[in-house]
Amino acid sequence: MFYRTAGQFKTSYTADQALFPVRQDAVLLIVILAFAWIVFPLTASEFAFQTLLIPILIYSLAALGLNILTGYAGQLSLGTGAFMGVGAYACYKMVTLMPWMNPIVAILLSGVFSAGIGVVFGIPSLRIKGFYLAIATLAAQFFLVWLFEKWAWLYNYNASGAIQVPNLDMFGVYVSGPQATSFTQYYVVLAIVSLLTWICINLTRGRPGRTWKATRDMDIAAELIGIDLMRSKLTAFAVSSYIVGVAGALFVFMWRGAAEPNLFDIPLSFRILFIAIIGGLGSVLGNYLGAILIVGLPVVLGILPEALGLEITSATVEHLNVMIVGGLIIFFLIIEPHGLAQLWRLIREKLIIWPFPH
Amino acid sequence: MNVHVQEDMSRHILRADDGIAKGEDLLKVENISLSFGGVKAITDISFDIKKGEIRAIIGPNGAGKTSMLNVINGFYFPQEGTITFRGEKRRRARPSETARDGIARTFQNIALFKGMSTLDNIMTGRITLQKRNLLWHALWKGPAEREEIEHREAVERIIDFLEIEHIRKTPVGRLPYGLQKRVELGRALAAEPALLLLDEPMAGMNLEEKADMSRFILDVNQQYGTTIALIEHDMGVVMDLSDRVVVLDYGKKIGDGTPDEVRNNPDVIDAYLGVPH
Amino acid sequence: MLSEIFVEPFVDMVSAPDFLMQVLWEGLVSGILYALIALGFVLIYRSSRIFNFAQGIMVVFAALTLVGLHEAGVPAWISVVLTLGVMFALAFTVERVVLRPLVGQPDIILFMATIGITLFLIGFGEIIFGGENKVMITEQLGIPTDSVVFEPFGGLLILEQKDITAAAIAALLVVGLLLFLNKTRMGRAIRALGDDHQAAMSVGISLQTIWVLVWFIAGIIALVTGIAWGARAGVSFALEVIAYKALPVLMLGGLESISGAIVGGLMIGMLEKLFEIYWGQPLLGGNTETWFAFMLALVVLLFRPQGLFGERIIERV
Repeated sequence: MFYRTAGQFKTSYTADQALFPVRQDAVLLIVILAFAWIVFPLTASEFAFQTLLIPILIYSLAALGLNILTGYAGQLSLGTGAFMGVGAYACYKMVTLMPWMNPIVAILLSGVFSAGIGVVFGIPSLRIKGFYLAIATLAAQFFLVWLFEKWAWLYNYNASGAIQVPNLDMFGVYVSGPQATSFTQYYVVLAIVSLLTWICINLTRGRPGRTWKATRDMDIAAELIGIDLMRSKLTAFAVSSYIVGVAGALFVFMWRGAAEPNLFDIPLSFRILFIAIIGGLGSVLGNYLGAILIVGLPVVLGILPEALGLEITSATVEHLNVMIVGGLIIFFLIIEPHGLAQLWRLIREKLIIWPFPH
Repeated sequence: MNVHVQEDMSRHILRADDGIAKGEDLLKVENISLSFGGVKAITDISFDIKKGEIRAIIGPNGAGKTSMLNVINGFYFPQEGTITFRGEKRRRARPSETARDGIARTFQNIALFKGMSTLDNIMTGRITLQKRNLLWHALWKGPAEREEIEHREAVERIIDFLEIEHIRKTPVGRLPYGLQKRVELGRALAAEPALLLLDEPMAGMNLEEKADMSRFILDVNQQYGTTIALIEHDMGVVMDLSDRVVVLDYGKKIGDGTPDEVRNNPDVIDAYLGVPH
Repeated sequence: MLSEIFVEPFVDMVSAPDFLMQVLWEGLVSGILYALIALGFVLIYRSSRIFNFAQGIMVVFAALTLVGLHEAGVPAWISVVLTLGVMFALAFTVERVVLRPLVGQPDIILFMATIGITLFLIGFGEIIFGGENKVMITEQLGIPTDSVVFEPFGGLLILEQKDITAAAIAALLVVGLLLFLNKTRMGRAIRALGDDHQAAMSVGISLQTIWVLVWFIAGIIALVTGIAWGARAGVSFALEVIAYKALPVLMLGGLESISGAIVGGLMIGMLEKLFEIYWGQPLLGGNTETWFAFMLALVVLLFRPQGLFGERIIERV
């Protein structure tokens, strides 16, 4: 009843290939965008901004980047955290070396550095496949985190080894540093994430997306129909690392406010991987769904014991969170390996024919 | 068949600008030998494929037919011998380059991209013909979209031709075997190849499916003008469809000629009956 | 600068040969432990093509269970037996809850499932055992804790007896494993399964039984590793991270070769120690052991994608 698609005919290929050929999908998106751009920012508390809204967006972006590489192009990467770090440190160096630079430009440029390093560490993918490649990406992960610690120039020789985000303003409004409001930072993050998501949607529905999926599904056949595997894989590494790098810059500059090298260590890489898996590899929507779940779960777990009147220490809550995430991963892999995005597709198909059973 | 579709086909004599007339050598295989480690798969084979013909490659199992096709395709590089395609000798190159030169193929065990729909699979066949780069696609609106629509139209013509409109959005993993083979043919056709290699296109099909596939192959040859080389075990199909036949056994060529000549060749008969020689 | 990289380290090595031997010994011991973890991986991968990411946490879990039981008053050797029982129960549960529903799924799905198992065990272990560092019950198990002192070249070489014991036990374990795989019926069944699931099943080999058995053996290996390592470094969740080191070992040795795991492990252990002492600390600020093994394996794989011991992969169409 809600999703009746009867009567919605397409009379041109352009219409058929539109982003939301079904009207109800477009309506749903407009509602979501209205909430994101208007309702949430006006009604959210500081707590909501800092623990939910901003991190969900940033993690979604990082997972989107990883998804391009692992979900679409089929190259498993366990080094996402380190590449976020590259973006963060690149942004830091840029704003401290060139304080006149527009902060948003700096953030968008920092992705270029992580893209470059991503391509370098992606070169082995031309010879190495599957699990071996995953282990090779760990080389990038461990090496880069070591570098963040040892190369003091990166953190401006600060004695603590950490970087602090300075107060940066744009047209008189502070966007980062202790003086910036969550309200402003939310909009900056939302704008950048929306832009990059739109670009990824475009890339994945056209030739680049098909090239990556072909490389993922059967690279020998892909080569034999004329796909240059090297370009395909390295492009995936470049695009993916760019997005992950920007996410890293946002992570530090728009949310955490400061960073130490171990922030970008393995646990972060795995966190992003879980979001991508649970959300659905090979999907754009899935990254958002996965981020909502992974970011929201500890918050819910934190509130639940009080609500239920149980006495649980916060450490136990943390451990329970880890256990549940592990259990969820297994659960999803058994029930729906294509993640939450697939679940949504199935629900949608059911909605289209509801209330009829078939 | 649809007259409108037929007319569209004839306008698509593709890549005819290679200067080779119908009836001349399109592909020349000379003294090819191929081995894997100690195993010699192909020994000193030579034959040619003329433009516009349907050439069958037959022989008992293990004769080296698929290996031969892989060599023509650029997937294996022979230890000895040369391949001349469209008048140019082939240098050692990546397989993706032979695809760009105008050779497309289907596979013995279907090699479709299981994660994509029929439409997307066939669209991947157009990759060598798509020009707009990544940055235009990031924008989508404008040149990239126009190019996508242009190629979508070409692919839809192939979908019409192969009568698979009803499954264009279905993920290929869900399709029955016979339809998957048809989609794979579509993907090969999408590249508008000068030479189409078919590796056992009828394998595993029932009588009706074989009749359909034969019809498609003939139509491709007659309407597109595509030169076809096919490996096939069904003798009936081979005799009916092909203009000339090459017979392989144990990696060597034992027969070469029209279907009738080959059918009466005593060596060929011996090979199929299993007479040791 | 060039001389600092290419000459001085070797001069340092030669001028204090007893120190060099100490470094090599330390590296060898680490290498044995990496090899043991890699062995667990190889066993599971060979029989089920699953890349068991949880091998590391199994080491920690086994060690924690052992120490936990002993703290609760159970005598040392009985704790060992009970821990083996726990590892068996774990193997059984994993097969039932995770592996069976995922039969036939692509390798990457199974790999990610093992990541899920890892997380689950980390959270679960923290809740049950608590997160503080614990001491391995080395003496209670009868493992000698003195040192053996040599004086080669007039210098000093100190070998911890617990390390020697660990090396000896590891060697015994490997020999036992090889005998098991090659000489017994069960062992042959495991190897058959590794080659071809369907064929193995068609001659009556039960997938489930073999998988439980294999994960249990991996659990035994995990326990031995946990005891050996816990004796050196204490028992804590930090051990789990050290298990990552087994991964470059697998890259070098190939995912399917037992001898590859052993040789790879020893090589990586010794080379990373050598690099850290003679190049890492003087020239790079130290702490290179976090990444050296990975970089080394990466470089080797670039030249030999199948690893040092793997079979050459020939693509077929």
